[in-house]
Amino acid sequence: MTLRLVLGLMLTAVAFGLAGRRILALARLARSGQPAEPERTGDLGTRLVAIVTEVLGQRKLLKWSGPGLAHFAVFWGFLILGATIVEGYGALFDPDFHIPIIGTQAWLGFLEDLSIVAVLVALVAFAAIRLLHSPRRDGRRSRFFGSHLGAAWLVLFMIFNVMWTLLLCRGAQINTGNFPFEYGAFASEAVARLLEPAGEAANEVLETVGLLASLGVVLAFLVLVVYSKHLHIGLAPLNVLFSRRPRGLGALLPVHSGGAPVDFEDPDEDDKIGRGAIEDFTWKGMLDFGSCTECGRCQSQCPAWHTDKPLNPKLVIMSLRDHALAKAPYLLASSDEQRDKLPRDVLAEAGRPLVGTAEAGGVIDPDVLWSCVTCGACVEQCPVDIEHVDHIVDMRRYQVLIESQFPKEANVLLRNLERAGDPWGRGAKARLEWTAGLPFEVRVFGAAGEERLPDDVEYLFWVGCAGALDENAKRTTRAVAQLLHEAEVEFMVLGSGETCTGDAARRMGQEMLFQELARQNVETFNAVGARKIVVTCAHCFNAIGNEYPQLGGDYEVVHHTQLLSRLVADGRLRPAHDVDTAVTYHDPCYLGRHNRVFEPPRELLGSVPGLRFTEMERSRETSFCCGAGGARMWMEEPIGTRINETRTDQALETGASVVAAACPFCISMLTDGVATRKQQGKAAEEVRVTDVSELLLRSVRGEAPPATPE
Amino acid sequence: MRPVLVLADHTATDRSVCRSTCALLTLARRLGPPMAVLCTPADAAGVARLGRFGATTVATSSRTELDEHPAAARVELLAHLARRTAPVAVLVASHRLGQEVAARLAARLGSGLVSDAVDVRLDAGGPVAVQSALLGAYRVESSVTRGTPVFTVRTDAVAPVAAPVEPVVERVDIGFPPGVRAVRRIARRPAGAGLHPDLATAAIVVAGGRGLGSQRSFGLVGALAEALRGTVGGSHTATELGWCDRRDQIDQLGTIIHPRLYLALGISGSVRHRAAMQHAETIVAIDRNPTAPIFDLADLGVVGDVHRVVPELLAEIRRRRATR
Amino acid sequence: MRVVVLVKHVPCALRGMGFGADHTLDRAARRGQLNEPDEYAVDQALQIALRRRDVQITAVTMGPAEAVGALRKALILGADEAVHVLDDRLHGSDALGTARVLAAAVGRLGFDLVLSGSASSDSGMSAVPAMVAELLGVPVLCFADLLRVREHKVEIGRDDGAGLQAFAVALPAVVSVTERCGEPRRPTLAATLDAHHKLLRTWSLADLGLADGDAGVATTVVRTVTARPGGAEHVVLADAPEVAAIRVADFLAAHQFL
Repeated sequence: MTLRLVLGLMLTAVAFGLAGRRILALARLARSGQPAEPERTGDLGTRLVAIVTEVLGQRKLLKWSGPGLAHFAVFWGFLILGATIVEGYGALFDPDFHIPIIGTQAWLGFLEDLSIVAVLVALVAFAAIRLLHSPRRDGRRSRFFGSHLGAAWLVLFMIFNVMWTLLLCRGAQINTGNFPFEYGAFASEAVARLLEPAGEAANEVLETVGLLASLGVVLAFLVLVVYSKHLHIGLAPLNVLFSRRPRGLGALLPVHSGGAPVDFEDPDEDDKIGRGAIEDFTWKGMLDFGSCTECGRCQSQCPAWHTDKPLNPKLVIMSLRDHALAKAPYLLASSDEQRDKLPRDVLAEAGRPLVGTAEAGGVIDPDVLWSCVTCGACVEQCPVDIEHVDHIVDMRRYQVLIESQFPKEANVLLRNLERAGDPWGRGAKARLEWTAGLPFEVRVFGAAGEERLPDDVEYLFWVGCAGALDENAKRTTRAVAQLLHEAEVEFMVLGSGETCTGDAARRMGQEMLFQELARQNVETFNAVGARKIVVTCAHCFNAIGNEYPQLGGDYEVVHHTQLLSRLVADGRLRPAHDVDTAVTYHDPCYLGRHNRVFEPPRELLGSVPGLRFTEMERSRETSFCCGAGGARMWMEEPIGTRINETRTDQALETGASVVAAACPFCISMLTDGVATRKQQGKAAEEVRVTDVSELLLRSVRGEAPPATPE
Repeated sequence: MRPVLVLADHTATDRSVCRSTCALLTLARRLGPPMAVLCTPADAAGVARLGRFGATTVATSSRTELDEHPAAARVELLAHLARRTAPVAVLVASHRLGQEVAARLAARLGSGLVSDAVDVRLDAGGPVAVQSALLGAYRVESSVTRGTPVFTVRTDAVAPVAAPVEPVVERVDIGFPPGVRAVRRIARRPAGAGLHPDLATAAIVVAGGRGLGSQRSFGLVGALAEALRGTVGGSHTATELGWCDRRDQIDQLGTIIHPRLYLALGISGSVRHRAAMQHAETIVAIDRNPTAPIFDLADLGVVGDVHRVVPELLAEIRRRRATR
Repeated sequence: MRVVVLVKHVPCALRGMGFGADHTLDRAARRGQLNEPDEYAVDQALQIALRRRDVQITAVTMGPAEAVGALRKALILGADEAVHVLDDRLHGSDALGTARVLAAAVGRLGFDLVLSGSASSDSGMSAVPAMVAELLGVPVLCFADLLRVREHKVEIGRDDGAGLQAFAVALPAVVSVTERCGEPRRPTLAATLDAHHKLLRTWSLADLGLADGDAGVATTVVRTVTARPGGAEHVVLADAPEVAAIRVADFLAAHQFL
């Protein structure tokens, strides 16, 4: 008896010692990072709700029902089986121990055994999933591609060990009469019946062996967890607690240094701009890396990975984590002498550039960094709320602002934004060309000498660069203007007073230019007294609505699909004419996933009589990017296949002859995709890509579709 | 009577007098008796052509410096003549050489210079030059208050009108100071000698787009580029469809070009394409669609089928080359 | 080696600009920026500095107070120091007046090479570099599509539409570069911040010893300015192919491309 107590406590001490050392080192590593953005610790209520739904409720995991249920079983199984650990330690001191008050009630025994069985079933499911989707079979398509497979199997094996030792111990306990539950523990009873023939003495030995083995396995598991990817068991709840709420999408955070936003008009000499080395990440960044479970849900959604590009959000996070851990001795060394004494491989790791090609030994390849479309599909899926997009943009910020290293064709974008205020260098005066030939006068701010928006103007119509200058988008702008006019909504445009919102500049990491453009627009909005703004571009929508508040611009921003669907619902627009065509709808990332506008465009399509609507397989939250986001619109796509063509294929699979979208950049990308497929004979000649509003206008006016432009 | 000095241009190949010079003479006649300055030995045909457009005097010099060091030697020659004849004005065609010569001459003489005049006339206060400013939105008339007015003239909008006279030929023989020889030509790759310059640095670019319809028709682009000694490019669509190399893509994401002449064949002119070629000095577009945005940008647009217009144009270019 | 880059401050967009009562461009109404071809010139200077250690780049402009913006941009793009010639008497200077002032400033600075963009986007005046060279008494190479600086000489490549030619001249000299010489590189944030600490001097005409000379005295005068609504004419033909081809050939010939 004493032996078992001594052994048990010794095991515990060793395991806690080993685990504690590791945890301390990890904590020091995390603290060596920069302070996180202060808002991460605010609004505790929302954060606790997130813990309840995402950790306890496993909300995001359950989006994938099979693996989600299995994980749910293991998660709750381990929570409940916490009781067995208490019981186990109790039994070390007193063989007849039971948890006070509830400790002998049948339901607890039943719940514990149910958990054991559920976990064992889940283990079978996990093993099956791993075998069915093994990278050896599926290659890149396997969501475990590049994950640490050995460690994962070891963890499954250890969980199995926890379960069988527990059952052994509990079964023997029943036979020796030391079991706390008279009824309920059905699985333990079954094991007891098996062991009973061995006799009492043997069962006593088995009980001790089982108890020590079960505690030993649990302790070994603890050590294994803190030294492996299963760190997420401890870190995920913390990560969920401190992640951006409601989600790590929508606005990007301004460049932070030392926990405070950087003032680009007068930056501090020591300001860290973006992430140029692993230690530039904040502790929350480190927490993200540590929380990754390598489950591959992110990569399964990633449009870049799907089109054979080197970017894989999971591998990005894993590489950063592995690099952080390998460089840790260097970062945690207290002096230069200590650093010099470090093993050569640590020094080599410390010398790796954070972003660099394979030859330069970079942790993240530039091709990886610049493949991201910031569509947020990874962030959306991540069960532990890792903020992949933020990290990628932060690394881009360093590359652009400090190193001036980025795909060279994007330089044209930046120069045009700087010189002309739009991506194509057309200049402010071209911004009213779209109004030519409209059957009514579009009211332009300042044309009648006004200095504030007149009271009768309900909406400021933000046309945007594409809406004013791109041929396809101009059609949308004209359609929306005509619909607003039809519904007698008074609106005004700024004409040459607009300049690019800076979305693309910000997403490619040129924060300084974003701030300059955004400030200019906020000044304009405030000067004209804008309150309600309607936009047609999903990127403008996101920038003005979500990011301008960071610069002191708070406005009520609506997307045209939201406004139009309200007007239809109110009966101010009557889509009376049949539009006899098969249509599908592509969710723009910055409208849908980033801003949760899923219904209004569908309501609009639903309101048009005659339309036959088919959803694409990937829609709403799991919509597949068109390839234009994250300033990718302004970069060549030389690696892999084309994202826009892949999305076009998905749209064509629905059999639709009209692909509707609600963002000029999606429309531009899909139009290109359709044109290529037509040329290849893979798309019918009548297939068109159009904005939702144009379909609505056709239904309201009863006009024939416009001829396909050359 | 004080003459008007007109710097005559001759073609590099057969040394015949250029059309631009005839146009300059046409304008010069409004200011006074034109004295054509011919920087090549006077041949009968050249003198006759100058006379046909009203040159009362033809000053010629056959010094080799005029060929070897064209700008500096012309400045010397014109400065000498300007000092000797006290002309009403000096007119120079506003191409690159002309602009350089005129600028240096004006500085040398301490005279006022008006660049890129589209028209010239005489009023009570002396010669007046008309410029087109701010992308053609304004018409600006200027005169020179100091020294001999020096005008560079854009002759493309001026139609030469003949007014035959019998010119007096005067040989000017001056010695050039050594400074004239400061700039040396060290290499010359004759036109059409293959090896086209990069798209980004090309002076003449001929590009094709979707309107060409097929890889085979895209050959027209190459043929026209060959005829004009230009470089071939393609729109986003043309490269996407594989009609031309990705390197040759003229697009926001491809090459940004700054040519002196841009010829667009079957290109509608999307905003992305515009971003890459809007810096071209002169733009000619041929496309079937009359509403194509490229026509808003083109100095000369032709609404028509590239498959028919381009072969005709190639034939016309061949005819003109043959008859010269 | 001393490289002086002549830069100009120009309005951001030309469309919709007008002329003031005194017949000079109404620049006050517009945000200005560094003339784009001059950006290329500054970048070319920087390229020289990247290849040899002894290069000192000075950006020089003449213009109203706002023109300092162009100098700041030039400093960000790689100039080491800047000189702003600012004097009320310079308002409305023409090409020769400008060239005299710039030549005086360049002469005062001392130079081996003077660089400049080959045209300014607002007035299309490509005369200034050649005039400055003439006034300084040094040779000039205009419209360089390609620029190489050797030990004591500079070489340029130039395509006038009739094939590529290369020219060389001994330093000191003036060179104007076209936008075909290569896209300027993007400055880093550090370069942007650094520019605030670089030397920016302001000189008046008196500083240049031009107070009572010819500088600033106009040699040309604008008589009338007439607005032409609609702007530049775009000729669009819809003739039969044979006719259209002749019209295009005429046009090309008139522009000296044939």
